[in-house]
Amino acid sequence: MKSTRPFLVFLILVLAAGCGGGSGGGSSSGTSGSSNADNIVSITVNGSLCSGGSYPNKPCVSVKVCAPGASSCQTVNDILLDTGSYGLRIFKQALNVSLEQVTGGSGSLAECIQYADGSSDWGPVQTAGVILGNEPAVQVPIQVIDSTFGTAPRGCQNADKSPADAGFNGILGVGFFVQDCGSVCASNADNGIYYVCSGSTCSGTEVTLSSQVQNPAALLPQDNNGVIVQLPGIPANGSASVTGDLVLGIGTRSNNAPSDVSTYGADQFGDIVTNFNGVSYISFIDTGTNGLFFPSPSASQLPDCPFPDSDWFCPQSTVSLSATTQGASGSPGGVVPFEIGNFDSLISSSNHIFDNIGGNQRGEFAWGLPFFLGRTVYIGMEGKSSSLGSGPFWAY
Amino acid sequence: MKKGLYILLLCLGLSTVFFAAAGRVHAALGESVKSVASDMKALSAARGNITSHDGYTVQEINSPSVAVREYISASGVVFGVAWNGLVRPDLTQLLGSYAAEYRETLRQTPRARGRRSLRIETNHIVVEEWGHMRNLRGRAYVPDLIPPGVSVDEIN
Repeated sequence: MKSTRPFLVFLILVLAAGCGGGSGGGSSSGTSGSSNADNIVSITVNGSLCSGGSYPNKPCVSVKVCAPGASSCQTVNDILLDTGSYGLRIFKQALNVSLEQVTGGSGSLAECIQYADGSSDWGPVQTAGVILGNEPAVQVPIQVIDSTFGTAPRGCQNADKSPADAGFNGILGVGFFVQDCGSVCASNADNGIYYVCSGSTCSGTEVTLSSQVQNPAALLPQDNNGVIVQLPGIPANGSASVTGDLVLGIGTRSNNAPSDVSTYGADQFGDIVTNFNGVSYISFIDTGTNGLFFPSPSASQLPDCPFPDSDWFCPQSTVSLSATTQGASGSPGGVVPFEIGNFDSLISSSNHIFDNIGGNQRGEFAWGLPFFLGRTVYIGMEGKSSSLGSGPFWAY
Repeated sequence: MKKGLYILLLCLGLSTVFFAAAGRVHAALGESVKSVASDMKALSAARGNITSHDGYTVQEINSPSVAVREYISASGVVFGVAWNGLVRPDLTQLLGSYAAEYRETLRQTPRARGRRSLRIETNHIVVEEWGHMRNLRGRAYVPDLIPPGVSVDEIN
C-alpha cells in the first residue's frame, strides 16, 4: 500500500477540493426394508453408545460404515447425534474400513468445518456406504477427520486431532439441510470450506452438491423426508442415562406418523425465532448443544456459576421460565415452559443428564438437548414434504 | 478564513471516509481506517454498504462465504467487527495487532464440550462466537475504543 500513498493523498485532495462524496458504494442402493424397526436408530444419552467419561447431555448413536461395495463394514459407536449439522464425520482413528477418496480435479477433496465453539475439523472427503438402523446402505461422501491430511488451511489450524480432543468418535449431522455447505460451495472456489489437495498442497475448490458431504438421512430410498428424535422425560434431579430413538422418515411408515404437533418453518440459515424476556432472538434446536443457552434476563435471577463453570447458570433454587417459539415467518407461536436449576449442585450428583441446565449466551436462544427430553421433535428435510409441511422445519 | 479552514478539514475528513469506503481496503480492529495496509484480498471480500449511525459508521465487507461488518468511530478507528456466514472470517486479519493475544488466550481456554459458542476475553479485546453450521456468527470489539454513548449491543 505504501507505493500507492501519493495517489491516495492526491485522490483525497481531489475529493476534498470538490468536496464531492464518493458513492459508497448421493445416490442410494439396495431396496427399502419393510419392517417397522428398520427405520429406528437407537440413541443413548450418555449410556452404552457413548464412550466412558462423556460430558453431560451427550446423545450418542452407532453408525455402520462400509467400504464402497459393502465388502467390509464396521460399526462405530460414540457418534454424536447432531441436529445442528449436516453430514457424517468420523475420526480416522475410529475407522478401520477403507473408503473411497472423492476427487476434485486432479487431487483429493478435503474440507475444513468450523464450529461456533471455535473448534474445527479437517480431513479428506471419502465415499462410504452408511447404514442407519436397518435401512439400506446409502453411498454418501463423509468427512474423515484427520488433522494430518495434506496441509490444513488457516481456518483449520486448530483442527481436532483425536476423538479425545473432540469428546466423540464422530458426528452424525441429521439436521434439515442436505449438504454441509450447499450452493455457495458449488459456485465459489474460495469458499473457505472445500479444498483440493495434491500431496501437501491444498487450495480452495468448487464442489458440486453431489460431491459435498451430505446428510445420510436425506438420501434414504424411502424414509428421506425428515427424522424424528424421541427422548423420554427425566426427573428434576437428572438421570444417569436414558435411551431413545432416532426415527427415520415422517409419515413414511406406520411407526412415524405425526400427530398433534405444530410446525415451525426455518429460514434459509436454519433458524427460527424465540421470544424471551421481551426480546426476539434468532433461535435453533440442537441435540449437539448440551444445555439451554440464552441471554440471562438478570444476574440476580440467573447468576453465572462460579469459575470454572461460569458458562452455566447457578440460581439458588430452580427457576421456572417460559419462552415463545415462532416459525421464521412469524407463525405459528408456541409457548415453551422450561426450568433452569443450579448446574453445580446438579452436576455434583452421579447423574449425567439434566433437562434444566443452561447458561448465559449473547445473541441467540439455543435450545439444546434439554429441549428434547420428554418430547417428540420432528425435523423436516429441505426440499421434501410430509403431512407436517415442507422442510426445512421443526415440529413439536 | 478560519471558517474556510474548518470546511476544508471537514471535507478532507469526509472524503477520507468515502475513499475508505470506495477503496479496496479494510481496517483491522483498533487500527485507523486511514492507515489501513491490509487489503480485502485477504478475505476475498468485496465492499458492501456503508451505513451511518449515531457516533459511528458500519462498513460491510462481503465474500461468498461470510459477511463482515466493521464498526468505525467518528475519529476513524475500528472499534468492533461482527460477522455471519458459512465460515468464520480470518481473525488474524480482522483482529490485527490483537490477534496474538487472542490466540494465546484461546490456547489457554479449556475446551467446553457440548457447547456451540465461545467467549474469549483478553486484556484488550472480547471475541464472541455463536450460531451453528451454515450460520456461524460472531463479533470482536475493543471495550476501551467503543465511542461514548454507543452500546456494545450495537456491535452485532
